[in-house]
Amino acid sequence: MTSHVSVTLPAVQPQGSQLHVAEALLDLLRDTTTEPRSDLQLEALTLAVAADLPVLLWGEPGIGKTAALTQLATALDLPLTTVIASVHEPSDFSGLPVIGDDPAVQGVPMAPPDWAVRLVRAGRGLLFLDELSTAPPAVQAALLRLVLERRIGALRLPPGVRIVAAANPRSSAADGWELSPPLANRFVHLQWAHDHDVVVRGLGGTWPRATLPRLCAERLPEAVAFARRAVCEFLVARPGLVHRLPSGESRRGGAWPSPRSWEATLRLIAFATAAGSSRDVLSLLVRGTVGDGPGLELLASLDRMDLPDPETLLADPAGAGLPERGDLRQAVLDGVVDAVRRRPERARWDAAWALLVRAMETGAPDVVVVPATTLASLRREDWDVPAAIERLAGVVSLSRRADQAARPAGARR
Amino acid sequence: MTADAPGSLDLGKLFAARLHAARVRPYLASALFALRPVESRQVPTMGVDRYWRCYVSPAFVDRTPVAELAAVWVHEVAHLLRDHHGRSDRYAREHQLTGPAERLRMNIAADCEINDDVYGDGLPRPEGAVTPGKLGLRAGELMEDYLRHFRLGPRLERLAWLDCGSGADGLGRAWELGPDGAHGLSEQERDAIRFRVAQGIKGRPGSAPDGWRRWAEEVFHPPQPWRQLLGSALRSAVSAAGVGEDYRYGRPARRSAALPGVVLPSLRRRPPRVCVVVDTSGSVSDAELGSALLEVAAICRALGGRRDLVSVLSCDAAARTVQPLCRTEGIELVGGGGTDLRAGFARALRTRPDVVVVLTDGQTPWPEARPACRTVVGLFPRTGGSYDEHDPDYRPDAPPAWARVVTIGSGAG
Repeated sequence: MTSHVSVTLPAVQPQGSQLHVAEALLDLLRDTTTEPRSDLQLEALTLAVAADLPVLLWGEPGIGKTAALTQLATALDLPLTTVIASVHEPSDFSGLPVIGDDPAVQGVPMAPPDWAVRLVRAGRGLLFLDELSTAPPAVQAALLRLVLERRIGALRLPPGVRIVAAANPRSSAADGWELSPPLANRFVHLQWAHDHDVVVRGLGGTWPRATLPRLCAERLPEAVAFARRAVCEFLVARPGLVHRLPSGESRRGGAWPSPRSWEATLRLIAFATAAGSSRDVLSLLVRGTVGDGPGLELLASLDRMDLPDPETLLADPAGAGLPERGDLRQAVLDGVVDAVRRRPERARWDAAWALLVRAMETGAPDVVVVPATTLASLRREDWDVPAAIERLAGVVSLSRRADQAARPAGARR
Repeated sequence: MTADAPGSLDLGKLFAARLHAARVRPYLASALFALRPVESRQVPTMGVDRYWRCYVSPAFVDRTPVAELAAVWVHEVAHLLRDHHGRSDRYAREHQLTGPAERLRMNIAADCEINDDVYGDGLPRPEGAVTPGKLGLRAGELMEDYLRHFRLGPRLERLAWLDCGSGADGLGRAWELGPDGAHGLSEQERDAIRFRVAQGIKGRPGSAPDGWRRWAEEVFHPPQPWRQLLGSALRSAVSAAGVGEDYRYGRPARRSAALPGVVLPSLRRRPPRVCVVVDTSGSVSDAELGSALLEVAAICRALGGRRDLVSVLSCDAAARTVQPLCRTEGIELVGGGGTDLRAGFARALRTRPDVVVVLTDGQTPWPEARPACRTVVGLFPRTGGSYDEHDPDYRPDAPPAWARVVTIGSGAG
């Protein structure tokens, strides 16, 4: 027999009750403010989720992955469903068999869990699969079907549902969660780390409020064209990077390049461009999709794409804008000299000298020395030395000074 | 391009020095040109910050010959390429070091890492450059190793003026422009430059000294400690399907009561059975074996494996007896002479293990066929020439592809 004891808490607690005081103290503790602060990893996560790619957050427990997901759900205006993988059974993800009247005729339907039904009914949402690494292997296997095929039992998740998973890094995961290369290839891997300053300031009462990227509707065609050009130009130059399985024990379970992950990269570049995100955000995303080496090479190739075209510069040396950074400036000047070498014409040669003078007058002169020497060697017999060369006297004396420095040192050896 | 007023920065000399540096160290050219010189009267000589600005004292430029100035350029850019500020910050955090004295120690250790092979070949060693030799330390080590081996004391008093800026030790200086100042490089730009320099060194390995070559190999893929790798290899082998904690149909699940007529699997624990085969041939040292064996035992314990399920088998040309690992010490390893691990495998498989761990130096024939259980090989690296005096071309077989191989003793253990 059960006996019902009804307990009704008083709506207003008597003044001076200990619980009341405790409530007041908790209110004071909750009273925090926020300040705007750029958060690269959150921005990268937002873009990857917006691009509808499954994201895997790698991070130690307790560093605010869930808090970040809550913020993300608010920003994308999606209801958040958190599923702690380790407390579920495989059948919760592959569907519970429900026996009807005549299994031989009707079959045994696999019933999905309630949260999946609610997600499907809503048609949209953010599904967060937490603690992937502490779930038993059979649960992980069932979950991966959910991530990759978006199926739970007989249900199929609608396209409006985005999936983010979280796992502890290999070094701290006691249960040996490790992605096989085909699985690792489908995720965007983001390393989640806490920022010491943010934590200390947050505990002091001020938490950061990230301003999240917004996609700009006018830039969409331009973003797609840019992304296509970026990836295709790069892969034409580096065919070996189209598909490269990870080798070696230390690179297991991470991102690696394949046609599939390059397609994801293309999508991410388009999203980052449309959102006007910084290269730092793009760097996190690209390196998390195709791996560090290929990712960095792609980024370097993007940097070169940003440089002005040598032909444009030669056409209008007076109005040329040269990059500020010395190494990029030298790359541009080398490109200009190379363009003259490929099609040597008097007018182009003169224009290149004008560019070098401009470079010397607007920045460090040592950068100009090597291109100037090469350009001088391209002179044809009937070409007169242009007047502009006079103004490069500083470069010549600089070069001579460096030569002098080399001589005694060379003599000593 | 000469100094127009006494005491102002002689940019001509500074740039001539950079040009000289770029000529004698072509693989560092793009990094050198990416540095942005900033005149500063507070810096004692030259210093860098983490945003790739280079602070220069006019007086120092005046009194230093061009070749030596070039050496300082290379020294400063080496701090940035080798990420000494980031590594200092990490070291300080891990070891809870605070205060300027500790940062000075990091600056000294960073200088030691650079100075052992940065000079020569056209770059004279500057007066008073700190080298490992002067501190009585071994050359060719990393900053973190040096930090463990010296303390500040009267002997190092004359180094107290040493200051390469926050780019070398991570501690901000009063004269630095900080993250918001002009011409700083973003993290992605810094990574891109470091990556480009590393690619250049790897592309033409002949010209760079060993220290730089090692840096180029490891800059974006630092070697992981073998303990971690061995641990994760073993963990993933032990937690694979069928072993450890997993769902099986041997007994009905607790949920079966709610679903009459349905057979659901239940979570069962079957502790993994691990057999460690130890190569006791003459070529493996006792110290190596001891540390690796302790590691395997510790990992098995962390996995919840019962000690009696971990057995150890020593093997040279023949397999010896199998001993249960019931204590950490006192395991009798018998053997010497040649190795034939095929015998070891055959004997180990008779214990019907889930995982076989082989600790060996690889100087052995391997089984032809893949065994029925997972295999982790802890490999003691052996370098050098041939191993068989009768057959100088003899090379031992590499471990087979079906085994997961972890090289023991590489990286910081």
